[in-house]
Amino acid sequence: MIDNFSLLLTHGLLLLAAWRLLSRDDLDVDPPAEGDADA
Amino acid sequence: MHDLFLIGFLGALLVAGFRRPFLFVLGYVYVDIVAPQHLSYYLLNSIPISLIFFVAAVASWMMTGDKKAAAFGPRQAAMLILLLYCYVTTANADFPMEAQEKWSWVWKSLIFAVFLPLTLTTRLRIEALAVFMTLSAASIIIVGGIKTLSSGGGYGVLNLMSSSNTGLYESSTLACIAIALIPLILYLMRNGTIFPPEWRVTAFCLALSFACLLIPVGTEARTGLICIAVLGVLMLRATKKRFLYLSIVGALAIISIPFLPDSFTKRMDTLNEVQSDQSASTRLAVWKWTLDYVGDHPFGGGFDAYRGNSFRYETKPADSFDAAKGTSQSAVVVQDQARAYHSAYFEMLGEQGWLGLFIWLFIQLGGLVRMEVLRRRYRHSPADGDQWISQLATALQHGNIIYLIGAGFVGIAFQPFIYMLVGMQIGLDSYARRRRRAKTRNPLFATTTPRA
Repeated sequence: MIDNFSLLLTHGLLLLAAWRLLSRDDLDVDPPAEGDADA
Repeated sequence: MHDLFLIGFLGALLVAGFRRPFLFVLGYVYVDIVAPQHLSYYLLNSIPISLIFFVAAVASWMMTGDKKAAAFGPRQAAMLILLLYCYVTTANADFPMEAQEKWSWVWKSLIFAVFLPLTLTTRLRIEALAVFMTLSAASIIIVGGIKTLSSGGGYGVLNLMSSSNTGLYESSTLACIAIALIPLILYLMRNGTIFPPEWRVTAFCLALSFACLLIPVGTEARTGLICIAVLGVLMLRATKKRFLYLSIVGALAIISIPFLPDSFTKRMDTLNEVQSDQSASTRLAVWKWTLDYVGDHPFGGGFDAYRGNSFRYETKPADSFDAAKGTSQSAVVVQDQARAYHSAYFEMLGEQGWLGLFIWLFIQLGGLVRMEVLRRRYRHSPADGDQWISQLATALQHGNIIYLIGAGFVGIAFQPFIYMLVGMQIGLDSYARRRRRAKTRNPLFATTTPRA
């Protein structure tokens, strides 16, 4: 019961993280201006 | 059901990896930490999932990875040298069979730590690694935390889903790593972009940190209590409102004592009774034996060389004092053999000799120094600029310090989770270096460069 709760919660969050990463362009290339243009 | 769920999860990660190859790296991290093959009853046991993810990660990096961004630093070289060195000591080990068994997972851990920084080319990748490491460890920590709350746990009693007792499923290891993870959890809570700061993220991170603090209670690993104390001191260093922090920590400590299980407080009491505690005496005897051993074998005895030890020592039973009679029982002579090192430092010394210990210390202490450099360099950067580098460096440094203190009492010199942390440190370091170079090359953006 506790095992399943923990597995479901963490694996759900891992999947959500992976899903969000799929649509992020800055995963593979850092946006050149981001952080630099903050003056 | 269990198995199908895990297979579905791994399948989803693999499919995602074909779209974004970095997910293969994250998949390997997950498999290495959680070891789903140990949680599975039948299906996954027969598939080499760790190998599949590793090959996919390396192959996709070779085909599509950004080689220009990949830097090879001195600590990566040190890990490669350590790997070769261990290979040689394994071939000449005192106990070839046992040494071979340890070598079979140590080399993977080292190779991955050398490879990992090559893939960490963007800020998001570094964060994604932190998220995957945290959530993977969380799957074990949450179980431990809830079971501690509901049952109180006990030394060697807390059931952590798997009976394998390897990796993070070993209770003393988990107690140390869980505490070392807290600074990283708090970093993600404040600086996450995959899970940006909001109340649910804050609630989860705080609850997870609490579960981490419960692990030393549940496992009754005394190392964990020392790690918590170190964490408390380190956080004092990082906090601005020190008086408020001290008051809160003090109040929490006093409030929590009545809630601690009886067996826990009893066991922790023995921390003061080094002389009368057999486990402490064994350690001291093993450490003394190790020092003698490397006197004769300066290059170490290969993995698991401790199996050759045997010694006699005197100890007093922990409850030897008879209050009624006012006397204490006489010392008991204990004959012991093949006792493990119970310390990463002596593990390195006994197994890999002085040279191995030196390389290992270079890898670990080098990380502390590099993180301190980054921490200071970016401390005054704009909050929406590069300040995160300073904060992440601080979290990784604190995690490393907690590990190094805890490792004084647990033989976890080759814990893969720590090598991932080292890999993240190296990745962050070379990422920051590339960024500075890019800025000096492009002076238009150089105005925000912090003092360096």
